[in-house]
Amino acid sequence: MVKYVIGAVGALLAALAGAWLMLAPFALAYQNSGADWADPTFVDFWTGLPVLIVSVVGLVLYVSGLVEELRRRGIMRRPYAESAGQPQAPGEPSDNASGSENNTEQILLPLVTAILKDMQERDRSRDEAHREIPNNVQQVPSAGEEGSVRS
Amino acid sequence: MAPQARGGLIVTVIGFSAGIWLFLAPFLVEYQKVGQDWIDATRNDLWTGGALIAISALTLLLFAAFALRDAARAVEQESATEASEG
Repeated sequence: MVKYVIGAVGALLAALAGAWLMLAPFALAYQNSGADWADPTFVDFWTGLPVLIVSVVGLVLYVSGLVEELRRRGIMRRPYAESAGQPQAPGEPSDNASGSENNTEQILLPLVTAILKDMQERDRSRDEAHREIPNNVQQVPSAGEEGSVRS
Repeated sequence: MAPQARGGLIVTVIGFSAGIWLFLAPFLVEYQKVGQDWIDATRNDLWTGGALIAISALTLLLFAAFALRDAARAVEQESATEASEG
């Protein structure tokens, strides 16, 4: 991993040297602006430009090598690795929207089942209580009977 | 060796060659006469060329040293794994 950092630093310094070579004739004033280019200007400019381009390419290569190494070691996560890498369970909905809906259902299902079971038990005990009371006695339905579920 | 590392090394060697060219250019292109005082362009080319040579050589040396260290560590880990399995 350190080798890529060293390479990237070296490539960056070389790129700066290339940029300096392109500017040097004008910065050091051995090339007057507007005048025909002298031999030193030609040499410096046409050496500096390839050095700059090649060094930038080298910098990109070293940095991509570093990123690859970081991913290989698990320090950096590969983009879209989770969605591409995770195998989909059979019967599982494909899109995210229906997936989250399904998760909500899975969470609520035990709660709804428990409520339903509780209501059925209550109805059953009430029925038993009705049977014990004589048939000729009329009973006013209580407010608690509303919304009862019979299986 | 990873393709990125190979490409990077080639680029560094090109930088080293550019440094040598810059070092020799004033005399090869003959804008600097041998035996005369150095002009500004010659001084700039020699300093920049020298810096490029130094940067590239240092990069190559350190890259090789750390690549060898990584290779040695990988071999050590492999042998340790084989010893624990066997």
